[in-house]
Amino acid sequence: MRIGVFTCHCGENIGKTVDCPAVSKAVADIPGVVHSEDYKYMCSDPGQNLIKQAIKEKNLDAVVVGSCSPHMHEKTFRKACSSVGINPYMVEIANLREHCSWIHDDIPSATQKALDLLRFAIERVKFNEALTPIKVPVTKRALVIGGGISGIQASLDIANSGFEVILVEKEPSIGGHMSQLSETFPTLDCSQCILTPRMVEVYQHPKIKLMSYSEVENVEGFIGNFIVKIRKKARYVKDELCTGCGLCFQKCPIKKVALSEFDEGLTTRPAMYVPFPQAVPNIPVIDKSVCTYFKNGKCQMCKKVCGRDAIDFEQQDTFIEENIGAIIIATGYKLYTIDKKPEGSIYEGYGEYGYGKYRDVINGLQFERIASASGPTSGEILRPSDKTVPKKIVFIQCVGSRDESKGFSYCSKICCMYTAKHAMLYKHKVHGGEAYVFYMDIRAGGKMYEEFVRRAIEEDGVKYIRGRVSRIYEENGKLIVKGEDTIAGLKVEIDADMVVLATAMIAQQEAPKLAQMLGVPYDKHGFLQEVHPKLRPVETSSGGIFLAGACHSPRDIPESVAMASAAAAKALVLFGSDVLEREPVVARVNESTCAGCFYCKKVCAYNAIEVKEIKDRQGNVLKVVAYVNSGLCQGCGTCNATCPSKSVELIGFKDDQIYAQIHAFAEV
Amino acid sequence: MEVKFEPKIVAFVCNWCTYTGADLAGTSRLKQQPNARLIRVPCTGRIDPVFIIKAFENGADGVLVSGCHPGDCHYNAGNFHARRRWIFFKSLLDFVGIDSSRLFFSWVSASEGKKWVDVINNVIDTVREKGPFNAYKKFNRENYKSDAELVSASKEDSKINSE
Amino acid sequence: MNLAETAKDILKNHKAEFIIGYSKGRDGRTKPFIAKDEKGAEKLVFDHFSVNNLAVYLTRMEKPKGGKIGIVAKGCDVRAVNALIQENQIKRDEVFIIGVNCSGVVNDIDGEWNKENTQIKCKYCQLRTPNIYDILVGELEDFELPEDGQQLLMTKIENMNAEERFEFWQNEFDKCIKCYACRQVCPLCYCEQCIVEKSMPQWIETSASARGNFAWNLIRAFHLAGRCIGCHECERACPMDLPITLLTRKMGMLAGKEFGYRHGMDPSQETLIGSYNIKDNEDFIR
Repeated sequence: MRIGVFTCHCGENIGKTVDCPAVSKAVADIPGVVHSEDYKYMCSDPGQNLIKQAIKEKNLDAVVVGSCSPHMHEKTFRKACSSVGINPYMVEIANLREHCSWIHDDIPSATQKALDLLRFAIERVKFNEALTPIKVPVTKRALVIGGGISGIQASLDIANSGFEVILVEKEPSIGGHMSQLSETFPTLDCSQCILTPRMVEVYQHPKIKLMSYSEVENVEGFIGNFIVKIRKKARYVKDELCTGCGLCFQKCPIKKVALSEFDEGLTTRPAMYVPFPQAVPNIPVIDKSVCTYFKNGKCQMCKKVCGRDAIDFEQQDTFIEENIGAIIIATGYKLYTIDKKPEGSIYEGYGEYGYGKYRDVINGLQFERIASASGPTSGEILRPSDKTVPKKIVFIQCVGSRDESKGFSYCSKICCMYTAKHAMLYKHKVHGGEAYVFYMDIRAGGKMYEEFVRRAIEEDGVKYIRGRVSRIYEENGKLIVKGEDTIAGLKVEIDADMVVLATAMIAQQEAPKLAQMLGVPYDKHGFLQEVHPKLRPVETSSGGIFLAGACHSPRDIPESVAMASAAAAKALVLFGSDVLEREPVVARVNESTCAGCFYCKKVCAYNAIEVKEIKDRQGNVLKVVAYVNSGLCQGCGTCNATCPSKSVELIGFKDDQIYAQIHAFAEV
Repeated sequence: MEVKFEPKIVAFVCNWCTYTGADLAGTSRLKQQPNARLIRVPCTGRIDPVFIIKAFENGADGVLVSGCHPGDCHYNAGNFHARRRWIFFKSLLDFVGIDSSRLFFSWVSASEGKKWVDVINNVIDTVREKGPFNAYKKFNRENYKSDAELVSASKEDSKINSE
Repeated sequence: MNLAETAKDILKNHKAEFIIGYSKGRDGRTKPFIAKDEKGAEKLVFDHFSVNNLAVYLTRMEKPKGGKIGIVAKGCDVRAVNALIQENQIKRDEVFIIGVNCSGVVNDIDGEWNKENTQIKCKYCQLRTPNIYDILVGELEDFELPEDGQQLLMTKIENMNAEERFEFWQNEFDKCIKCYACRQVCPLCYCEQCIVEKSMPQWIETSASARGNFAWNLIRAFHLAGRCIGCHECERACPMDLPITLLTRKMGMLAGKEFGYRHGMDPSQETLIGSYNIKDNEDFIR
């Protein structure tokens, strides 16, 4: 085999710590290497041309590149080599940057390590095989999980391109948290006014199949060929008959028992309800846990008044299976509850702020509901405890965010902006009211954001105090807020009527479970992880699954919308071809040595191993062996490691390739 | 001048989690000791215990095997099968005298760059304390050629072929 | 009916095409024997010297078309047959199992039948009457249970430190001559090409070098983890008296203690290797 070795300096990134010319010279003596050179930027056009030229001139069979991580440029170099006739799988990358030059300071040991890593790659490539990509068909249908603004945007983008979308939302209505907001920064647009047209567009779109009050139960398959099982939860109302007249929930007698999820617990809702008047679809749902009929078989008021006989108490959850090509996860966020230490949590909570103890200490979403014209107070800012108008409101930022000891280390990004917005709304509605904001920093980085905050301070007279709050307690009907003003160097005490906490934006509780179902990585906070934070922010390491919105990390509405469109674009790239080329790293059985024990079949997570009978011409079964369906095999290699005789091998990571690397260790 | 013993560590890491986690440690420029050499496999399920034995035979003083956290495997269940395999293999090696001062297992996810650094530094420090794995090196007796000698013997042959 | 009568009946009525069993050879030793007709059936015996695990023949034999293989099997052999069924090497309806009530077997077939010469496995045997069979013959007798010297040795090894243990095993494996008798006699070592026979790459050296011996015995024990049915034939067959059942026994005890699993007890049971539990122990993983 004739191997060419190309060592990249990557500018100073590798070149500063690893003596690339020396390494390049040293590997030239390894048996099998017929060409070795180094260059500043191998991935650049001139760099790639060097490789192509060497391939042609020296008649190379295989190429080894010492460069950055294969996750960065393996595809680049493979493409370059295949353009001049070398099979892309005869290219090996040695990671000299992320695993060497960037993590070591000592030049001699880093250089030695780089030489070793190149040697490993060279010895390995001697056992590489030329492989052809496997072609699989693509189902041109998308699944969007989550019907908030991100899910809605992604669905519309894909549907408007002519492809079918299934939008699954676990609540009875789409809209997400954006439908709960009163006005949005920095324009102070009425949130529902800009959202509901989109919601209706989704509902009426011929290409969007909206499955509300449903959850994803199971996902199988792989990119372009997912099989998704969706659970449609029972509403106890027949969708096709309901007209949304609303008589049933108006007449429902159980009005004071259940807390309204939409109003963040500030009011109650009936047992039979729609979450909010503009709900899409406008079909009510029965809350089984408080409904009289489900408890003792009586009442049935809704059934009596329904003119279309749409109430069906016998309804069951149904399961639907769909074939899907691409999945977009848009499950959004929730707010950190800090009234007491959350169950099973390692976080302490902020009990000293009295959330949950004092009714007038509320969080951001609750304030949104109070300020909202369709909310429990019809838009008047009133104290939840006694319904009076608060004369002084204190807003506290960074509750739970930026706090490694008792909360989360990250910044929730939107709080500075919405706190300014809340203070402004309050000042517009309650003339003469006093608004105080306790902050650590002001993060207003978007378009017109800084100007918005300055408006709150300069035009609306919101008082900003730089400092944290240590304690809130009640005295004579007032909430005493004890904090400090670090700029003045003074302790501050405010007798507030209401306190609004800007609590941290955290991942949904079920996010890790969903992530595991889909095979998507997630971090310790439950936020889903992208492939590359800079250049591939919407893709996950599971092919065909994309991220949109706050499920990835805290973000505001314009960013969520942008990310949703980006994810939709990625899905459309997938749908752009009829056939997908899959990596040919799959398992293969050596039928002459296979003893048919099928331990490989037991460990295969994709059911890719089948039973094959080898027959003679008379049809007598000579032998029963394992057989790999290369369309289903995903290339994990568990079968290879489980087989005692190594009759099944993972091509691309065969025993002899790995052995060559271990063997090369002897000279380390 | 006394040459201080520097342990040689082989790390078998899974591509999707630990390798990427190590990449993240690199991108974040988190400094580590240079004693480890990583061998990439698609999944910890691919790691056959015989690799570990071969690593010791080829001069490793310590071996680290690392993959995705349970439930997070890119291939659904590869690390579960690997884990069960390791329970048996580790018990066997312990019984035979290759104990956990030389063979390490860890779960490092793609976002845990910092944890990777902790793990690998801990492995290197522990093995340095323990000293070189002389017991295995004793296997290569004088009249028996070690793998490295066999390699250099074959080097002479293939130099001719590659012209 | 006694064994010979039963066997004759089975062959006459074509319940099996031939029967693998034991008979007394010309030198008086009890050895494996295949009875193909009535004359052969008369020679079949079962006694304390019927120590061979006949299930190993099932893996090396061409299956007769349209007929069954008969096999005389004591408890530990039936476990091997069940294990082979679990691992798709043979189907239940391809064998006709003549179960025998066993009252212990010897260690050294040239010695006397007494307490010192009884196999250690007989001390713990729960299958003196096999759990699966097509017909059962023989009577159970009481016998004196042997001492378990191996358990003492195992405890001794576990109390050594790592270097001492390595030294102990190195000394033992030094004696190995790589005859592979252990593999040939094991009913569960049925791979068409054993890993030690693979040369591209060569994971385990075939020559009797210290390094290759260590790797071979270790890997063989590992490949049998969760699969060994504890017949101890490997140690009996070893010409160098290597204590290899210490390794397989350790693995078997782990399977029993950690997972409550014994291979070969139920042919329809899911195997230990090849399945997983999300709650498997991981306190050794950082």
